[in-house]
Amino acid sequence: MKEKAVVADIDRSMYDFRYDEKDAYKVEEGLTPEIVEQISKEKNDPQWMHDFRLKSLETYNKIQVPQWGPSIEGLDMDHIVTYVRPKDNKMVKDWEDVPTDIKDTFEKLGIPQAERKSLAGVGAQYDSELVYHNVKDEVAAQGVIYTDLESAMHGEYADMIQKHFMKLVPPTDHKFAALHGAVWSGGSFVYVPKGVHVEIPLQSYFRLNAKGAGQFEHTLIIVDEGAYLHFIEGCSAPKYNVANLHAGCVELFVGKNATLRYSTIENWSKNMYNLNTKRARVEEGGKVEWISGSFGSHVSYLYPMSVLAGKDARSEFTGVTFAGAGQNLDTGCKVIHNAPNTSSYVNTRSISKGGGISTFRSSVVVTEKAKGSKSSVSCASLMLDDISRSDTIPAMDIRTDDADIGHEAKIGRISDEVVFYLMSRGMSEEDARALIVSGFADNVSKELPLEYAVEMNNLIRLEMKGSIG
Amino acid sequence: MNSMIVNTLPSPTWNWLHMNEQTIEDFPVLEEGAVEIEVPEEVEAEPHEAFTIENVKTGMGEDFLAMVKKTKPDIDFFRVADGVKVEEPLRLDIAYESQVNAVNAAEIIVPAGSHVVCIMNFSSDEKASGNAAMETLYHVAENASLTLIQVTALSDELNFFNDIGGECDERGNFSLIQVVLGGKKTYLGSHTALSGYKSSLNTDLAYLVKGNSGLDVNYIASHTGRKTTCDIHANGVLRDHGQKMFRGTIDFVKGCAGAVGTEVEDVLLMDETVSNQTIPVILCAEEDVEGNHGATIGKLPEELMFYLKSRGMSEEAIYEMMAIARIEAVADKIHDEKTRSLIADRLGRAEEV
Repeated sequence: MKEKAVVADIDRSMYDFRYDEKDAYKVEEGLTPEIVEQISKEKNDPQWMHDFRLKSLETYNKIQVPQWGPSIEGLDMDHIVTYVRPKDNKMVKDWEDVPTDIKDTFEKLGIPQAERKSLAGVGAQYDSELVYHNVKDEVAAQGVIYTDLESAMHGEYADMIQKHFMKLVPPTDHKFAALHGAVWSGGSFVYVPKGVHVEIPLQSYFRLNAKGAGQFEHTLIIVDEGAYLHFIEGCSAPKYNVANLHAGCVELFVGKNATLRYSTIENWSKNMYNLNTKRARVEEGGKVEWISGSFGSHVSYLYPMSVLAGKDARSEFTGVTFAGAGQNLDTGCKVIHNAPNTSSYVNTRSISKGGGISTFRSSVVVTEKAKGSKSSVSCASLMLDDISRSDTIPAMDIRTDDADIGHEAKIGRISDEVVFYLMSRGMSEEDARALIVSGFADNVSKELPLEYAVEMNNLIRLEMKGSIG
Repeated sequence: MNSMIVNTLPSPTWNWLHMNEQTIEDFPVLEEGAVEIEVPEEVEAEPHEAFTIENVKTGMGEDFLAMVKKTKPDIDFFRVADGVKVEEPLRLDIAYESQVNAVNAAEIIVPAGSHVVCIMNFSSDEKASGNAAMETLYHVAENASLTLIQVTALSDELNFFNDIGGECDERGNFSLIQVVLGGKKTYLGSHTALSGYKSSLNTDLAYLVKGNSGLDVNYIASHTGRKTTCDIHANGVLRDHGQKMFRGTIDFVKGCAGAVGTEVEDVLLMDETVSNQTIPVILCAEEDVEGNHGATIGKLPEELMFYLKSRGMSEEAIYEMMAIARIEAVADKIHDEKTRSLIADRLGRAEEV
């Protein structure tokens, strides 16, 4: 008789540490025009942004919560603090100047070490504000701008920010985009000038420390004609017994013949509602590459969208989602082909275990303008036990005959024969299953820089720890 | 006049895609439609006032089934004799004339060890207009099988609502072959409950949607029994301003260990004004299953075009040939001359049958 593998809860001690919030400044719980005004004042918003926030709040109050995805009934906005910052916070360019608790946090997460070893620049956000931002001199000398969005909004890039901010993801897009428009804080602005190739990646890391708080950072990246950038986003939080909320927004503008690779390893704690919105607009001959690893959060709604606006624009999405006990992760992507000869390639893996629910949701829309376009979507799901769930909901809407659209999906379990073979070669069942799962997620890890691939594989091992034959 | 929601996706997605369901506004009050029936002697047939099958789910959903029940047409009830393989098909011919607002209903019971083929041909006058509806409920018992063949060859002004729901017991098989060759807007719904051990479903759909016509499909295979299988194939052609929406769901319910489900869709797009929407869904709450789906949408492969052109065929002739080939690939599974000739007639190839 076959024996089921039992998968224990994971050990997240690496991410699950926290510091006292006694020195934090925060607004009241809930969402009111007064709170939005207070945030706007804290941020020293220009008038247009002040008005934008209030208008977004109106929009938020008019839009219903989505009826088609995982339940977010446990998220009560009346008990979410939308703005928290360390007292006397100021953004610095030297880790030594970062307050001790916060510096310790990022040290434990390995961010300063990663910066020294393998990054061209780092932004570190703690709760609602950036605490550290730096870019290497040689990259800055190329004209690359990597700074916090707030100061960019007041400097020489003010017009550029106003022109692009929430134009790709308007507050009317959905309820949590409107929420973001009202209370956003922190995040990064990146501008890569024409023809500049940034050889090593930039990284932003978002840490939400405060209990019952929300994080609403905004990332705006503009990669000009012929330029190249790899941007890495990481995020984590300690676990609390109340809901936390992440409703960030990422807007990527990829210029003519430019390439942007956007990699994310998301490892929020399992009390987090991750309602994030990411979108890229790709001009003629440009390319966006999304690499996405979703491991954490209680509930996720995450579907990076590529709008292929110029002819020959391309998009690649490579993703892995690992849903464990208590998690309902609804992830996937959207692609809109809106110009001739555009192409998209989607390759995802979903893993469910311990009662976790994983849903792959996608849409490929090919408009009348997108003649000669091609799209290929491939998604595979792995069920690790019979108390979990895995759904696949891919949609295709094709409005021209001159298109070549392919889709394939598979769902199944780990083959007993393969586990038996690996065990016959001396591996324990736990190691054999972890190896198979790591291999299953190889599509993502091989696309990441080595250090991040190692972190992702460690996360998988953590998730698989406790499996017994 | 009422509105109703039909062909609801079991697991909804983004509203902006407009794929979750179809709302029918101003649906008229229908009357019982006429039907010609040929019944093999091994099949008992009698009209019933109501369906005997209760608590059944159908593809088009509750609103539609409720509408049919409210209309109270006579139910054409058929019960196959026990343990018999019926050689001749059970045949229902429904022909619509001029202005129609008609509904027909049938119930087919296939007891243990029996096998029957039921052919339903829906045709109409060239100028027929209005709304026609068909509701079919079935029950396939242990080691029994039902093959249901439905061919629609309707006018471009006639809406057609075709709904099916039923259940298969242990090792029971339901095979559904649907060929859609006309109609203004055609709605197809089919829900199959695979509740018996090793019960199975085979579905083959072929369609040619052209002019300003539309096709809206909702197939659901619900696997609750162990080692159940389903195999859904949809093959079609869109021309002119033709619009098609295909929803296909394989639902692996917890407990259906060993189940296997496959769904394949192949759509040939022949004009730049066509519209194709596809959403093949797999829902899985059981570890020990195997689910696959694939879709290919677009023009013919360049290599094939090059080969056929090098043999002297024009592009138009190639597409014409390939379109007909797709329909005929499914029609070849129908071993009934009358039905094959109806299909050939409609495809303009009567002389070749």
